[in-house]
Formats: sequence, structure tokens, C-alpha cells
Amino acid sequence: MIYKAIMIGGSAGSFQVVTKILSALPKTLNMPVFLSLHRLKHVRSGFLEALSLKSNLPIIEPNDKEQIKPGRAYLAPANYHMYIELGNRIALSTEEAVNHSRPSIDLSFITAAQAYREKLIGIMLSGANSDGAYGMKKVNEHNGLTIVQDPNECQVKTMTEAAIKITNINHVFSTEQIINYLLKL
Amino acid sequence: MLELGIVDTRNVIRTIAEKYNYDFSDYSLTAFKRRLEKIIEQQNLKYSDVLITKLRNNSGYFEQFIDELAIPSTEMFRDPSLWRVLRYELLPSLISEYGNNFKIWLPNSVSGDELFSLAITLHELNMLNKVQIFVTALSTISIDNIQSGTLAASKLELSTDNYIRANGTSEFTNYYKTENNKVFRDKSLIKNVTFSRQSLNIEPPAQGIKLILFRNKMIYYNQTLQSKVLTQLFNSLVTGGHLIVGTKESINTFFGSNEFSLVNNTESIYKR
Repeated sequence: MIYKAIMIGGSAGSFQVVTKILSALPKTLNMPVFLSLHRLKHVRSGFLEALSLKSNLPIIEPNDKEQIKPGRAYLAPANYHMYIELGNRIALSTEEAVNHSRPSIDLSFITAAQAYREKLIGIMLSGANSDGAYGMKKVNEHNGLTIVQDPNECQVKTMTEAAIKITNINHVFSTEQIINYLLKL
Repeated sequence: MLELGIVDTRNVIRTIAEKYNYDFSDYSLTAFKRRLEKIIEQQNLKYSDVLITKLRNNSGYFEQFIDELAIPSTEMFRDPSLWRVLRYELLPSLISEYGNNFKIWLPNSVSGDELFSLAITLHELNMLNKVQIFVTALSTISIDNIQSGTLAASKLELSTDNYIRANGTSEFTNYYKTENNKVFRDKSLIKNVTFSRQSLNIEPPAQGIKLILFRNKMIYYNQTLQSKVLTQLFNSLVTGGHLIVGTKESINTFFGSNEFSLVNNTESIYKR
């Protein structure tokens, strides 16, 4: 297996898709999944629980400097940016919002691209602003694999179209195709 | 967007250590690197070498650099549930226990958001005159900025919402004025606050500290520096004194020969 991590970015309209992916991935997945999803800044609980309902993988809202382990999904906590830090750890940050977002998908993708380089799979799902598009470009520049949910399938296609516009994306897939692709890894 | 390499970042850190004796080598690398990228971009310095030259040749610039390096807090009354705990439980019980000599310390202050949130809460409890608040900051620019009462306009909406969620008993608009699209908080709230400059070592500004607010500051340290700073904070507190950190800053309560006990898990409140 050449890939070491999966990072999924999403916003409006991505919840169902993330849920489907998490319910399809096996418990035995031998890499971590990072979820950088836009969410309300002031609501700390509930999101993790809702995502966990159908997930095979345990989902964690990591503490700062938490060690990354395979077979787990890490959800960016409310009102924190989530970085992939050196030494196989997650770092959190409260720096300024990027694209009005904290967590910012761009920042998660940029730091993951630097940490995992060609061993990262970046997946961009439905969403209503352009956060994440620049991050996908960085994943691509570090020779990681880029997958974007087919804008025609997205509830809101601003985010996926923005990613496709500035980067030569490897695969534009439907949710089902994304799942099938990940299962064949 | 500029992207600094790790080597570039380490070179900046080395320059600062050699010239100014400030050691940032145990700061979280990713966040520190991003901060440098931001400074280089905003000041149109283009490369890290230009920043290094500027730091080497212009000592006057260093104070500004330190100020810009610091990451301001996100808004006032962040985590309203913590502010409700402070309002209804922690502050009333601690202040009645310790009487009028209740010393509170806010280390590494940058934007004053925690300070004004605290002052408003105490004011509404009629306890502002019973406490002594110490604010320390890495740069005098930060101190001037906090003392001016300035609140970044972008934080106003969320701060107002949070104030309501924190069960503020007044109107948030009573605590600030808007002039030329700038928001200034009521300076009378902080007239008895003691301000001083600190180094990276976070020296306590006084003895007998009973409460420290240090939220979302340790996330910018690596684990080595986190435990060093925790030891320092532990030693600054009286026995029974409280430390509040960020909700995602889980601290290992045992470090060295010291031990904090966990008081409130969801709000990350610890006690010496």
C-alpha cells in the first residue's frame, strides 16, 4: 500500500457523504482518516456523536499533540484549526479564521500535504465556499492523490468546482465511486 | 501563498536565539512556521532571508515582530459554558473562600479578550473590586493594545452571541463603543488591572496567585515546553489554586514531582 493517510474536507451538504464513507470503510483500515469539516464555532458536542452512529472507525476529536493511529478517524474540533504536525501528531491552533472558517480545510490539507506528501489522499466534498481548493492544490503539488466529489452530485457545488478550477484533480467521483476506490486500496 | 521550509524556519529561530536570546525552538513547528509565513507575506518581505536580515540589523523591529508572532484569542467569552461555570460556581466560591486578596493571572495575553470577558463577569457579580488581576504579555505593543480596549470588529458578532450564551446579565452593547468602525471596550473595567511585560519563561508577576487563565496557549508549544511551562504555572499557584486551559489542551496531571487534580473535565479546570 502506497498511501498512508486520507483527509476529507467538506462543508454544507457533506454530512451524508462523510457518513456513507465512514460506514463503508473497514475497521481494519491501516491508515488514519482526517475529517476537516465546517461546523458551528460555539457548539462543541453533538457532531462527533452524529458522525459516529454509522461509522466503523472510532471517531476522535483530538486533543492537541495527540498521537496519530491507523484505523481511526480524527474530526477537527469546533473553533480550532487541525494541523498535521511532525512526529505523527495532530496540532491544534486558534489562529485567525481562513476563508471565514475555523477549522479551515485549506490549513488541514496544506499541513497534511507537507507531512504525508505523495502518501496522502485528499478528498473534497460538497460545500458552499472555496475553502479547501487551495489545500487540494498543495496536495497535488506534493504528489498526493486528489479526489473531488462530482459537483453534479453535490448538494452545494461551490467548493468542489473551486478545487477543480485551480488544480488538475486526479479523480472526479460520485460518492459510490469514492467508496469503491478507497475499498480497493 | 508563501511556503517556508523547515530549514528556513529553524534559521529564523536560530537568528532570534543568537541576537535576542529568545528561544522559540520548542514552539510547535507547524504553527510557528505559519506565523512566519504570515509575517513575511504581510510585510512583503518575500523570503525568510529578508526577515532574518531585518531581525539581525534592526533591534527596534523585534518588539513588533514578537507582537505579530503572538496569536490573538478568537473572540470574547469563547466556550460560553466555561464562563457560566466561572460565573455561577468557581468565582463566587473561590472569592468567598479567599476573601479580598484574590489574585488572578493571565499570562501571555495578546488581545485582552479573556481579560475583558473576566472583568465583565466579575463586574456583573459585583466582585470586580475584590480581585487583583495581573496581565502579562510578551510585548509592550500587546499591552498598549489591550489597554486601549480595542476589539477587532470581526470578533464582535460572535462575542455578542457568546456573551448571551454565557448568561450575561446586562446588554453586551453596554460594554463597548464604536468609533469610525472601530470597537473600543469600556476601559473602566480594567482600571485596577496590573500590566507587565514577561519573557518566554512566563515569570509570575506576584506571589500567591489563586487563579490562572491560560487557554489555548500551550497548543503553540511542543510537549517539552508544555511540561516546563506547566511546572512554572504550578509553582506560581498557591495550594488549592486553579488553572484553566483550553478545552482541547489535555494536560497530563503528573509531571515531575508535581500534581494537578482535575476539577472539571469538559471545561479543563485543574487545581493545585
